[in-house]
Amino acid sequence: MINCEFDRRRFLQWTGASIFAAMSAQVSLETLASAASTSPLPPSTPILVLVTLYGGNDGLNTVVPFTDPTYHSARSNIALSSSQVLPITSTLALNSSMPTIKALYAQNKVAIVQGVSYPNPSLSHFSSMAIWQSGSLADNVTSGWIGRWLDLQPHDPFNAIGIGSTLPPLMVGQKSVASMVSPHGIQLPWGPVASLLPRLGRTSSSDAPLEAAAASSITDLFSTAQVLAPLVTKSPTGSLLNQQLSLVSTLINGNVPTRVWEVNLSSFDTHTGEQSDQNSLLAEIDAAVGAFMTSISAGGRSNDVTIMIYSEFGRRVMSNASLGTDHGTAGPVFLIGNTVKGGLYGEQPPLNSLDANGNLKVTTDFRDVYGGLLHDVLNTPVGDVIPSWRTTLSVH
Amino acid sequence: MATSRLLHRFNFGPTPGQYAELLQRGIKATQATVLQRGLVDPGISSVATPALADLGPFPAPNTPAATSFWDAIYRDNSELVMWWLDRMVASHHPLAERMTWFWHGHWATSNSKVFYPLTMLKQNNTLRKYALANFEDMTKKMAVDGALNYWLDNEDNYLSSPNENLARELMELMTLGVNKFTQDDVTAAARALTGYSTNLSNGSVTFDEKQHYSKPLTVLGKTSKLDATSLASLIVSRDENAKYIADRVWFRFVSSSTTPPASLKESFARRDISSLVTALVRSSAWTDSRNTLVKSPVEWFVGACRALKVQPSRLRPSDVQWELSQMGQIPFNPPNVGGWPFGQAWLSGVAFQYRFELAQSIVAIGDLAPLSVPKSKMVQACADWLGVAEWSRRTASTLAAATGTPAEMAIAALLSPEYVVSA
Repeated sequence: MINCEFDRRRFLQWTGASIFAAMSAQVSLETLASAASTSPLPPSTPILVLVTLYGGNDGLNTVVPFTDPTYHSARSNIALSSSQVLPITSTLALNSSMPTIKALYAQNKVAIVQGVSYPNPSLSHFSSMAIWQSGSLADNVTSGWIGRWLDLQPHDPFNAIGIGSTLPPLMVGQKSVASMVSPHGIQLPWGPVASLLPRLGRTSSSDAPLEAAAASSITDLFSTAQVLAPLVTKSPTGSLLNQQLSLVSTLINGNVPTRVWEVNLSSFDTHTGEQSDQNSLLAEIDAAVGAFMTSISAGGRSNDVTIMIYSEFGRRVMSNASLGTDHGTAGPVFLIGNTVKGGLYGEQPPLNSLDANGNLKVTTDFRDVYGGLLHDVLNTPVGDVIPSWRTTLSVH
Repeated sequence: MATSRLLHRFNFGPTPGQYAELLQRGIKATQATVLQRGLVDPGISSVATPALADLGPFPAPNTPAATSFWDAIYRDNSELVMWWLDRMVASHHPLAERMTWFWHGHWATSNSKVFYPLTMLKQNNTLRKYALANFEDMTKKMAVDGALNYWLDNEDNYLSSPNENLARELMELMTLGVNKFTQDDVTAAARALTGYSTNLSNGSVTFDEKQHYSKPLTVLGKTSKLDATSLASLIVSRDENAKYIADRVWFRFVSSSTTPPASLKESFARRDISSLVTALVRSSAWTDSRNTLVKSPVEWFVGACRALKVQPSRLRPSDVQWELSQMGQIPFNPPNVGGWPFGQAWLSGVAFQYRFELAQSIVAIGDLAPLSVPKSKMVQACADWLGVAEWSRRTASTLAAATGTPAEMAIAALLSPEYVVSA
């Protein structure tokens, strides 16, 4: 809300930018980008879209055990009533803020993996998110799981793209990192100095590793801008997640040769006033995912895309007095796509058999979910990215 | 290398001429300079503190009062951000502001939830007051800080059902580190923090004995009656606190990929922040080539403004704040209670885009006098001016192509890997 003023000012600037783009582009923007791209993504190449929910999404009010009396007694002040849920089985329902995802579930396009976490879950946001993003329980692993996948590919700044400006740890490898794109567009340097600046992107033998990384980011910006800038010319609209996902669908439809995309949404740390806050966040996800699926259906790649929606932990079974929940453990992971085999996977952790802190017991290891995605979507054996991990959970 | 590192990491970078002068005077003089604190700082005195009013409770929506209320919130927020940036740039002894900036990231509280700039200013003044003082005193004040209490839901921490948010993060992120306490410690600490309520519009915190858990509590193996301040003293007295704070200071000032020598925490035995910082400045960390660090967007921006003698509020404040926010770092708005990202996270192409916009506007009104030297000496003069130990061949040749145009050279230098990273 604090940034409203800036957004409004930017919007005015964007109007100008769009006029300029329209004047210079007689062909459609998509055609322009495809022509500019020397290597558009080959048809039928699988694509992964990661949606990271920061703060710990309450799984029990997302996939709701709505007939379980313990659910209603343990969190009577925030339990969803029968009119606030959309049943998917006789015992489980989706939060009614998710009608689009419910409809996709009915079309068998949504896999819900239940009870996902890892052994001895950490109740710390930062430790738990670090584990999910690194794909490792060790606290000295600084690379991310997608970063290590990037390390296995020939260097190409298009391989993985995050939306925003700061690189999420999951997309940092030891040799390669993802590129970032702002929903507000790509603006290469202008003015007389512009021709000089690409030279700063060369690496130098005297560079420290971080200096080399700074140089590479400059080169990657200049080399991706040619393809991406003509596509990213619309002023972002809608919710924060919609801004990000609509940019991703535009770029996917523009044949950008990218295998992994990352977007994210914050504010799931619902210690207080959970129902209204979480419901509106889930509604934001539902609307943005729905618009995204519609948009890619209009392009040629709707059968290639798999979305994964996950958070660092679920929340405490018992609610607190401030109409919220404290940090918990296992939660559901959503995998969505036309070629996903919809349905429930793993086991719903029982509410009457909790751990010593009153949290759900873990029934599925998140590395199995990664393993399935690495195999089915990224054509990579899980052990190449998560050393010594062998098991996978496939939803394709 | 050490001279450059000390100036960039503890003083937001050199003012014009300072780096070359300190190279001459040697490392001891550099250490003394970066540690210098003045009772009177003529640079700071020139920056007026914004007169923020208590704007009172949220008005009813869609009323004339609501319009003027939100206008005032936006105006005050912008003034607050520009005021702090101005101070960082203007200070003649920037260690105090630099440490306040560190503590802001440590006690990371965001105005995205607190909303009231006055309440954030009060917290900022507390952090500044204790920035180089005693950490136990700081923690006692912060445990009853209005902005922090509201940010971490302590107004919803009731006797009947504790809200654990403040208790957990106070131990995990602010004092002890993860896995240094149990869930039972969190539950008990949350009870110690009951009874406090915040007047959000001005940050004042009141204590109601009747709403406070009055029975003895067991936290970290010790049983006693506890309130916010005695809880703060108890957790800060743990040995883990010295290691945790020494590690955090190392992480943000030295390197996010190497670890401090065991001796560093000994300098924090009495929880004196000044002793810890002094020990670090005088340590051998600065000659270890591995200890490189990426400047955060604010640190980069403030450094550039100091070198070019540009007061941030002389730029267009809405532009500065937009560009910093697009780079992911705007004062008073950390992304979450864990504070700002670090290292490679800041090195994206998007960050380069906005760094260019800022460099362009700073150079447009900045003082380029340090580049008024014969063309053959400009590239070296540029390194001395900005406090860069040595240009790579890449950057030296790029800058050499701009000897006819000092403004272009300055922009390229500010965007170079050697200036963005403190190597």
